[in-house]
Amino acid sequence: MRQATASTLLIGVLLVAGCGAGPRHAASTTAPSVTAPPATTTPTSTGTAFNPTDIAWLQLTVAMTERLLPVLDLVPARTTDPAWRQTAAQVATARRADLDRARRLLADAAAPTTNPHEGHDMPGMVTPPEMTALRATSGQSFHRLLAGHLRAHLAQSVRIATAEQQSGSQRETIALAAAVVRNGTADLAGLDELDRPPGTQPATGHRE
Amino acid sequence: MDRAAPLSGIPRRLRFATAIGALLVLLGTYLVSATDRADAAPGRTAAPVANAIRVAEFPADCTYSHRLPDDPIIFPGLPGASHMHSFFGSTVTNANTTLPDLVNSPTTCNPLVDVSSYWVPTLYRDNVAVEPAIATFYYLGEGVRADVVANTQPFPQGLRLVAGNAKATGPNDSIARWSCLHAGHVPPSKDFVNCPSGTMLESYLDFPQCWNGRDLDSPDHKSHLAYPVNQACPSTHPVHVPKLRQVLRYPVTGDPSRFRLASGPGYTMHGDFFNAWPVAELARRVQDCIRPVIKCGHDGRPI
Repeated sequence: MRQATASTLLIGVLLVAGCGAGPRHAASTTAPSVTAPPATTTPTSTGTAFNPTDIAWLQLTVAMTERLLPVLDLVPARTTDPAWRQTAAQVATARRADLDRARRLLADAAAPTTNPHEGHDMPGMVTPPEMTALRATSGQSFHRLLAGHLRAHLAQSVRIATAEQQSGSQRETIALAAAVVRNGTADLAGLDELDRPPGTQPATGHRE
Repeated sequence: MDRAAPLSGIPRRLRFATAIGALLVLLGTYLVSATDRADAAPGRTAAPVANAIRVAEFPADCTYSHRLPDDPIIFPGLPGASHMHSFFGSTVTNANTTLPDLVNSPTTCNPLVDVSSYWVPTLYRDNVAVEPAIATFYYLGEGVRADVVANTQPFPQGLRLVAGNAKATGPNDSIARWSCLHAGHVPPSKDFVNCPSGTMLESYLDFPQCWNGRDLDSPDHKSHLAYPVNQACPSTHPVHVPKLRQVLRYPVTGDPSRFRLASGPGYTMHGDFFNAWPVAELARRVQDCIRPVIKCGHDGRPI
């Protein structure tokens, strides 16, 4: 009997609590005797505060760009074709400017400039073996390899910059993402003039 | 976060009512049994069940759910930003997932009460994805002194944990462990091993078990947790939480050169955990299984 009463009481309490459980629920999720506000807080005001998407996108943009620039730096030594040289130089200039802006914004956010997933076979990144292969070719076969890597990089950059525009918060970071989308889309079109894409699907590393 | 409402109002209310009903039955049962036990054995924490297996453990077996190039911890809000991940547990996890999404989600776990999300880089053999036949997530009290185990706290809901090193450049900066199920004579390695036919390739990964007591995440997604030092939690991370051990059994054997992870070689194995256990249920299991050092089953009851 005592048990039944206790259960009934508990049910009553739960029903009452259930009605307005939203905010209280969050407060009750912490371990005993500690408060645990999320470290990745959502911004209190849009525009100036960085949200987790801003930080992650900036970190990834830095990592991806740092991986692309050495590829573009190979171009003058591996081809004499002025069109390819000009395209590579143009992309490199734009991406160096993006890299500077991304690093400055990360510094403003007081965020680490690295992230735990960079550096290994991320979509749109040239791997060390691919870099070796690039160094071993020249002329037409170099153009083909370069086009594939450049297309993969630009397509992935546009994809994630578009996501940053949707889910990001900090104004300048979103503006940088808009520039990456704009320039990347134009560069992809320019690339298609130089090298007809093999299919409609851009190559994006290890995706199914 | 916005999610498309999958159901109209009426079925949703019904579902809600059903869920509340089930919850109340569960809680009622628990209260009754807890009261029974309290009546029968007042000193229960000091004298655990006589025939209990003295291992501080409860498991969740969560079969493969889905694959996406997403990571809601490392790349929140950026679908497609990651290498390919295989997800276990909650069936809804994607780049935009937050705690409320998980709390209300279906799960592949046994027990069904575990709606947490677990994910790892996808394994490929000859560039074809292979998913684990068995994926077990053990919650353990080990690797620290007995008095530390006795003070284990449940993970706070919403805690994000990562283990392993996705950008390891060699075995030396990795804690990955590969071995063969039912073939103990094959020495474990930080990289893929050659398992005899009829066995399975296994991956073991231990998550850090000392929490800073404050943050559900950190800028590098790691530093709010730490591994124990000298069988105790360091003063910077004083809260001892269960040690999560991820054990994956892949139905593949043979030449390791045919294998790769989406993140690279075998030593780049890593795991991500987004805790969404119901608070009271996880607390109960920590109290009934971990602190008193009792081996529990999927229901969180002594075996």
